[in-house]
Amino acid sequence: MKLLQRLMKDKLAAASLCVVAATLLIGLCAPLIAPHPPNEVNMELRFSGASWGYWLGNDHLGRCILSRLIYGIRPSVLWVLAALGATAIIGAFLGFAAGYFRGKTDAVIMRICDVMLSFPGYVMTLAIVGIMGAGLTNILIAFVMMKWAWFARVFRTAVMQYADADYVKFARVLGIGHIGIMTRHIAPIALPEIAVISSGALGSMILQISGLSFLGLGIQAPHAEWGMMMNEARAVMFTRPELMLAPGLAIIVLVSAVNFLSDGLQKALDPKLMLSEKRAKAGAGVIPPRLSGKEVA
Amino acid sequence: MLGYALKRIGAVIPLLVVISFLTFILNGLSPMDPAEVVLHAQGVPTITEDLIAATRSELGMDRPLLARYWDWLLSCLQLDFGSSYVSGKPVWSLLGPALMNTLNLTLVSSLFIIVLSIALGIVCALREGKWLDLSVRSVSFLLTSMPSYWLSALMVWYFSVKLDLLPTSGMDSHLSYVLPVAVIVIGYAGLYFRIIRSSMLSNLNEDYVLYGRACGLSERSLTIQVLRNSLQVAVSVFGLAIPVILGSTVVVENIFAWPGLGTLTVNSILNRDFPIIQAYVLVLAVAFVLFNTASDLLNTAVNPKLRKGI
Amino acid sequence: MKRNRAAVLLAFLLVIVLLAGCGEGNNNKKASVEQAPELVYATAKDVNDMNPHLYPGSLAAQGIVYESLVENTPEGIKPQLAESWSISEDGKVYTFQLRKNVKFHDGEPFNAEAVKLNIEAVQRNAAKHAWIKLSSKLDNVVAIDEHTVQLKLKEPYYPTLLELSMTRPYVFLSPKDFLNGETKDGVAGYNGTGPYKLDEQVTEQFARFAANEQYWNGAPQVKTITAKVLPAGETTLLALQKGEVNFVFTDDRGADSIDVDAMQRLADSGDYQIVRSKSMNTKMIVANSSNAASPVSEKAVREAIWQSIDRETISRTIFNETETPAETLFSLNVNYADVGLQKRDYNPEAAAKLLEEAGWTKDGGAEVRTKDGRQLSIKLYYDVNSASQKTQAELLQSETTKIGMKLELVGEESPAIANRRSTGDYELLFNQTWGLAYDPQSTITAFATESAYRFTTSGIPQAEELYRKIDAVMVSTDEETRKALYKDILTIVHDEAVFIPITNGSVTVVAPSNLQGISFKQTQYELPFEQMRFE
Repeated sequence: MKLLQRLMKDKLAAASLCVVAATLLIGLCAPLIAPHPPNEVNMELRFSGASWGYWLGNDHLGRCILSRLIYGIRPSVLWVLAALGATAIIGAFLGFAAGYFRGKTDAVIMRICDVMLSFPGYVMTLAIVGIMGAGLTNILIAFVMMKWAWFARVFRTAVMQYADADYVKFARVLGIGHIGIMTRHIAPIALPEIAVISSGALGSMILQISGLSFLGLGIQAPHAEWGMMMNEARAVMFTRPELMLAPGLAIIVLVSAVNFLSDGLQKALDPKLMLSEKRAKAGAGVIPPRLSGKEVA
Repeated sequence: MLGYALKRIGAVIPLLVVISFLTFILNGLSPMDPAEVVLHAQGVPTITEDLIAATRSELGMDRPLLARYWDWLLSCLQLDFGSSYVSGKPVWSLLGPALMNTLNLTLVSSLFIIVLSIALGIVCALREGKWLDLSVRSVSFLLTSMPSYWLSALMVWYFSVKLDLLPTSGMDSHLSYVLPVAVIVIGYAGLYFRIIRSSMLSNLNEDYVLYGRACGLSERSLTIQVLRNSLQVAVSVFGLAIPVILGSTVVVENIFAWPGLGTLTVNSILNRDFPIIQAYVLVLAVAFVLFNTASDLLNTAVNPKLRKGI
Repeated sequence: MKRNRAAVLLAFLLVIVLLAGCGEGNNNKKASVEQAPELVYATAKDVNDMNPHLYPGSLAAQGIVYESLVENTPEGIKPQLAESWSISEDGKVYTFQLRKNVKFHDGEPFNAEAVKLNIEAVQRNAAKHAWIKLSSKLDNVVAIDEHTVQLKLKEPYYPTLLELSMTRPYVFLSPKDFLNGETKDGVAGYNGTGPYKLDEQVTEQFARFAANEQYWNGAPQVKTITAKVLPAGETTLLALQKGEVNFVFTDDRGADSIDVDAMQRLADSGDYQIVRSKSMNTKMIVANSSNAASPVSEKAVREAIWQSIDRETISRTIFNETETPAETLFSLNVNYADVGLQKRDYNPEAAAKLLEEAGWTKDGGAEVRTKDGRQLSIKLYYDVNSASQKTQAELLQSETTKIGMKLELVGEESPAIANRRSTGDYELLFNQTWGLAYDPQSTITAFATESAYRFTTSGIPQAEELYRKIDAVMVSTDEETRKALYKDILTIVHDEAVFIPITNGSVTVVAPSNLQGISFKQTQYELPFEQMRFE
């Protein structure tokens, strides 16, 4: 909560947080907010401009662009967030295990991490989509497979840092079980840092998923997704450039908000982050994950 | 140093073996029978059971997995990645030129990214908090948040169609480089500029700067000292950046019809041309590991303190 | 101060050089649009392997380099490399008189021996050519003399000449290019007898063809043709606008990617013209009648789908009338196809009624109909690379929702779709007939072929009768029986509604406005470039 307070002092970060939160909310309540069903075809309204009934106009099938934009939040943002959550949980679990039990568990998990990290993320995503076929699910699976190792590393470092702390030793003496110690003492400390990494990864994941949809490797029709909407607009890019505008701006606004937020989080966390960053550097000359985890789609 | 280097390189070899194995079994994830994929990819209009059986044995699919892996690994070491399912040409004859084209694009872009992000990083760090710093940072944030295809479309529309200055696509002349390079640079410069800037800043806040200042060293020589230390970070950052950029030019290549790895891979994905996808993953993963190790070694050579870490 | 001035001067020079460079590039391009002594056409896919006895290559490119014995034209079979031919009484022996003084691009003579070598090389790789029934009917080839060759069949087969006219595999490559007397494992060169020869090929970038000055039918007017690889869609459009390419046609796999409005704008600018062929093929949805677990195994469901497709709207909005509504599997200009089949109009109410009568009912306020506890939910597969298929699928999905049928759309890459078709792992999928040169005989043969439409047809009650008639029609020697058999076959598949037609596709060409002599072949894959000329 302290983190949130500190974050709120940074006006830009606070505004970004509002944008992101609003987006999530709109996405969650899409059926309540969207003025029309997103897949309702109306060929009479093909390529119509903005009107009272359709604020952002209609696409090549006469569907309401605003409604599609709103429903597009779900795959573009919510599903990415869910994948990120799954990744964080897997990473956290393995990272905790490695850092807490040390020894062989640590060695095995870290070797697996090394292997996973040595595949460039974007390349692997493409490969998995290429072999298993196009589709949102496969992209999300690829994300989880490629990103968990980053989280595992961070959690391990965090655990290593705090497992030796006096209060954890104390708790152990008191006879509190492993899981108790993990959830009660170590998790809260590692969480802020995870928030920073996740928010950093979120921006690039949103860009990547829309990029893949744009290439036609992403989500299935007729579901709305921002990259897919741009792919559809691309065909008529020079006769009706305005169709590129809405989904493009939506992505830019959201991703910049996420990036500003991540930056704000980093600043709010600065003292602690510096510490762990030094450790990580001393580790094996690896760049702090929050930097390398980023790729631009 | 030599001992460390050997150790580090020694650690890479098993890693490469594991990577190659994972890449090899990647194909197993496919829900489709490779033999049928080959036949469809070759455009054979009608496929019979006999033809599938014949193709399977032609592909060596009837042999045990490990034996196939071993043969595949040996031939990969000689740059023989098998033949494309679609054209039947050796994979390397397709991948090699594409790799060179992508490398060209990547290197030119990386050069601009490095120069731009170091220059901006330094300037902004020295002017921390001033309007220049703030505006450059906000702009960089906005630019990194732009989907590259959106940006590409915009730039093509403006520079190629409206102004008619640059070619829209292809790789015909030096002018063809301008737009794709610009899009890649815009995507990445913002990211790496921030890293340089923050490493400059953290160096500027180190004790030795304070000490130097107290001793009356000129600001200029202090800045140079800080620069030197920050450049170390830059070396390791860019060592990793190059393979990352190499692996993510896909969208840009597709839009600009750049005959590189990205275009090749997306086409292969759409045609299920597994050997090319496989070779692509292997080549880039190996490049990634090698760049990583090299930048690591370079770093430790500059900064011996890091060696104790292992 | 001096240094400053030098820097300014340098910067100035740099700007000038850059501007000059840009300007120059510009002028060159403008010039190429105006004079255009050559054609540069955009292709979404690399020309690929030009070996005419295998299938990866581009048909359009192979079509101008290689030739067959006879040619398929709207007026029927015409001589090409064979000047004349005769067919024996029993329909089993074909004797061809070859054209004299024809040379391959490498100077080798085209003669009976070359014909024999080529056809035998194709036959030794018969497994790959199973689709073309001639490959299994052909017994042997005899070179009677230098210019006479005889093909002997095991049994009479009426489409023999049709199949010999196809762009592959029965076309002729210089025997000098064979590897160890074979063509199935690659060839040493691509020397055909056609109006153009392959000049240079850079993978994934371009292939250039030069006019064959020694062409037996007179050297072509357009001296150079370049196939430039460009991603479909707006990239191609831009390249056209800037003159980087000056010719586009809907090639392989229905690359229907250029926005029709944008194309019209190009034509309005005066630099380009648009030429459309007559109907070439039929775009359709194929229903898997043998998939017992799926609702599409019921005739009523298939008919309901048929009646919920608004072909007029699809033709008008999605294709801007470049494709016309199709009411039957083959358009009426296809041989033997004008058999008076009953039209099934767009009629959602009738479709709903059909479903109701078949026992698919809406319980209470349910959105989707059910029958015996099963939902009326069907998967429709489309090619992710085809924008128009996707759009049509979305439109259809929205239509069927209104009659209580749920369509689930699944976009896949074209090899995956082909795989589903041949393994029967589908309910509905998009497909197209093969084109005038192949319709109806090749498409109808495919009804019975395992890897083609066997799963589509085998679930209907008259399947056995259908297959028997298909076998019979191919060996029939009498025109009247053939007509009757085709009528029966087409009526059966029409009544059962397993091939649900949507539109008739045609070839669209965008060419420089001063290009004359643009005509079409009997297939949507090739164009007769040799007849074109600049005015």
